[in-house]
Amino acid sequence: MILTRTRPFALLLLVVGALTAGGCATVQPWQRGRLADRRMMFDPDDAEVAYMTHWQEAREASSGGYGVQSGGCGCK
Amino acid sequence: MSGMGINRLALSLLAAVLVVLVPVWTAAAASTHTPDVVLQQADGTPVPLAAYQGKVLLVDFWASWCVPCKTSFPALDAIFREYQRRGLEVLAVNLDEERRQADVFLSAHPHQMPVLFDPKGAAPLAFGVKGMPTSFLIDKTGTIRFTHMGYSGNVDVRYRQEIVQLLSEK
Repeated sequence: MILTRTRPFALLLLVVGALTAGGCATVQPWQRGRLADRRMMFDPDDAEVAYMTHWQEAREASSGGYGVQSGGCGCK
Repeated sequence: MSGMGINRLALSLLAAVLVVLVPVWTAAAASTHTPDVVLQQADGTPVPLAAYQGKVLLVDFWASWCVPCKTSFPALDAIFREYQRRGLEVLAVNLDEERRQADVFLSAHPHQMPVLFDPKGAAPLAFGVKGMPTSFLIDKTGTIRFTHMGYSGNVDVRYRQEIVQLLSEK
């Protein structure tokens, strides 16, 4: 209570600052060049992913479990 | 003392209201009238959009990293070549933050339509661009009449219909 009586401006500034700080990170649609870079992708190389998946299927005698297309039961 | 406290409280409330409302006002500023923005030519020469008043104008915002722009860019260039003689002006406004990437894209995509640059992104902000690519069809009075966000080959027909409509208006 003492704080709210003596420093209302500071408190308000803190609250408003905290509420609006999230807005500082707004990325406009035309500023997404770096986010769209291939290096920002989890799997930038499709051929390598296909090769590694195939290799893993052969090693583990099972397939799938990636994404949503199959459940990892080995039946594809 | 308490009077001063109330004054302070009123001031801080005013500040809070301003902080919250100013972004809302700026967002609402995206009106249907063409914003008065200045773009740049490749050599840095300023090109005010106001110079195109009285003409049917297609402004397309694009960037080299934007995947649909790879198809929309040549498609809009074809539209430019088709309707240029009937008075259509097309401005392909590049929004790449790094000019080098735009130059690589442009050398890989031969074009005839004028390409302008706005690396700071003031123009798309004024236009209220929500996605890439976005194009605006502006009539002879300077009013934004049609907006296209994103691109698929299906909208080509609509572009042509809208352009013909705007060109036929006085």
